[in-house]
Amino acid sequence: MGGLRAAESLRRSGFDGQINLIGAEPHLPYNRPPLSKDLLAKDKTLADIAFPIHHGELQANFVLGNRVETLNLEESHVELSSGAKYQFDYLVAATGLRSRQMSFPNNLGRGRYSLRTYDDARSLRDSLAPGKRVVILGAGFIGLELAATLRTLGCLIDVVAVEAIPLAAILGNEFGDEVRRRHVNEGVRFHLERSIVDLIGTREVEGVLLSDGTELPCEILIEAVGSLPNIEWLSGNEIELSNGVLTDQTLRVMSESGTSYQHVFAIGDIARFPYSTRSLPARRIEHWNIPIESAKWVGRQISHHEKPGSVLEFKQGERFNPLPSFWSDQFSVSILSYGEPTLADECLLIEGELGNEFIMGYRRAGELVGVAGIGMRREVNKLRGEIRL
Amino acid sequence: MIRVYVDLSKCQHYGQCVFEAPNIFKLNDEDKLEYAATADDSELLNVREAIDVCPMQAIKLVD
Repeated sequence: MGGLRAAESLRRSGFDGQINLIGAEPHLPYNRPPLSKDLLAKDKTLADIAFPIHHGELQANFVLGNRVETLNLEESHVELSSGAKYQFDYLVAATGLRSRQMSFPNNLGRGRYSLRTYDDARSLRDSLAPGKRVVILGAGFIGLELAATLRTLGCLIDVVAVEAIPLAAILGNEFGDEVRRRHVNEGVRFHLERSIVDLIGTREVEGVLLSDGTELPCEILIEAVGSLPNIEWLSGNEIELSNGVLTDQTLRVMSESGTSYQHVFAIGDIARFPYSTRSLPARRIEHWNIPIESAKWVGRQISHHEKPGSVLEFKQGERFNPLPSFWSDQFSVSILSYGEPTLADECLLIEGELGNEFIMGYRRAGELVGVAGIGMRREVNKLRGEIRL
Repeated sequence: MIRVYVDLSKCQHYGQCVFEAPNIFKLNDEDKLEYAATADDSELLNVREAIDVCPMQAIKLVD
């Protein structure tokens, strides 16, 4: 998605050079959020979630199913897994994330799943049936959305997670507890403050062994334990690559010695970009709107760099300062959030009541840095403008 | 004149489009999306932005 949006932004801001969009997956860009929901629950295909592409306007060359293996910054080319080399004047790194994989003493392969790509979702969907016993490792957004979708499909769900309260690290204890309670009401079983120490089975997963000695039988194990940035291909170039790709305020990639590369940008989940007004360390944000916002930004930056003065809405000296937003649907629970609640030193109920629909506000030194609600859409949307980041 | 279509079976009423094209989209008293099916050409760029930011990818321009 990030790559596509960057190409669109380039064309809309007047860039008339050649654009190569290179992707490891064999598919044209598609929308990932439905993978944990509709794509598993309903008879949907790739066509239902593919982004519309206006090829006539985009004039881009798609190179699919071909991973970029290495970047040679000195010679301004990338080399793909096929061995093909592409020269560039500008490079936009938009390689996103991959699922983190666990390793166990009895490291069985069959019966284990993760969810990041369309192919992951298809493979999981083919194994699902009502009554199947599913263990989900991880109680973040993906884990909880999967729990809800699969429970609704009639699977028996056990969620195993190390935290005491799901989502507490992101949205606070009270919010997390509300989400947990609603899952429990739907029949999801939680095994919190536990980890999986080993798998049970000989040829395929037949169960998992928890850190407290409990054995949970299952046919399906889904690992939803976070993700890793796909940045290995950038190594060997003195680019600062600790926890993603460090960028400056314009999303230009930074070197280990602290200088920016004028022609190399990073967008989306892999970009670790600085705050524009706060003296806090640069951070990556894994929300759906960040690839869009950063891609649009970089398209304009490149077009301006190519032809200064040609981009109408370009403001010199402006810093990339997106408002992160995310949403999540789990059973009838619909979460919508803006800002960065994790920055807060204080969390308080703004509207509604726990147990029903409500909005929590997140403050840091008295300033609103985030809001999150269950339901109450219009009220959450109204508060968006009051957030200061 | 442009023509806007929202697949209401996809729409989850997040209201992200409302910020991009407030003249076209709004959430009503029940937090459900309402929209204008036709609009002036001057709204084209706003509607395109709304299409991009729709989490459910439910918005289309109709030729």
